[in-house]
Amino acid sequence: MRVRLFASLRERAGWGERLLQLDLRPDAQPTTAAALWRQLALAAGPEDDGGELPATVRVAINQAFAAPDSPLAPGDEVAFLPPITGG
Amino acid sequence: MSTTSPVRPAPPIVVQLLEAPFQPLERLAAWQRSLAAEGPDATGSAAESHFIGRVRPTTATGEPLEALELEHYPGMTEAQLRALAEACAARHGAGAVLVAHRVGRVRPGEAIVLVAVQADRRGPALRCVQELLEDLKHHAPFWKREWSGGRGTWVAGNTPL
Repeated sequence: MRVRLFASLRERAGWGERLLQLDLRPDAQPTTAAALWRQLALAAGPEDDGGELPATVRVAINQAFAAPDSPLAPGDEVAFLPPITGG
Repeated sequence: MSTTSPVRPAPPIVVQLLEAPFQPLERLAAWQRSLAAEGPDATGSAAESHFIGRVRPTTATGEPLEALELEHYPGMTEAQLRALAEACAARHGAGAVLVAHRVGRVRPGEAIVLVAVQADRRGPALRCVQELLEDLKHHAPFWKREWSGGRGTWVAGNTPL
């Protein structure tokens, strides 16, 4: 599985892309983007939303917006997107 | 006997991500020529609306701006722009849509975005341009960084309408 960060999130974390192995044991909890956010400690600090994925950060799975609690599958590309400022 | 209703052909949607400065009026002219080449029945082109956005010369805090840096999510940004344009065209019954958007380093005064819509009437053409512009500002993955005094600052949110 590929994890991608953009813009301010990438610079804060110090990386833009990481490959991870999903835990595929039958008794393993399905991994979600929200769980990955905690696991990879992507919050600015413990005081930042208690380490949870903030509502301002959107999730994309395989380049489409997705709910943070959608289960992830092997081979998925999951991205964390800071607030969008286009146009 | 078939009772299917007539299906309107999907309107032509053109999405362009541009890494170098562009001339919006030249882009518009090329787009109009390409639509005209498809024949007068290809689109309902009695009305056409355009928006050109340019980089302002100051930062959000009023400092002189050297450049705006536009980051995007290659693949998703194009797909999302196309999906937003298709949805907006369908809502308004627009006949054709063009979206051109810069990426990379954009200097003050340069065009950053161009949205154009052809429709049968002024209402749909104008409304579709405005809606699509707001949609892409909030839902197409782009991130702006302001460069001023040699320092880059990520922009926290969109400017007010």
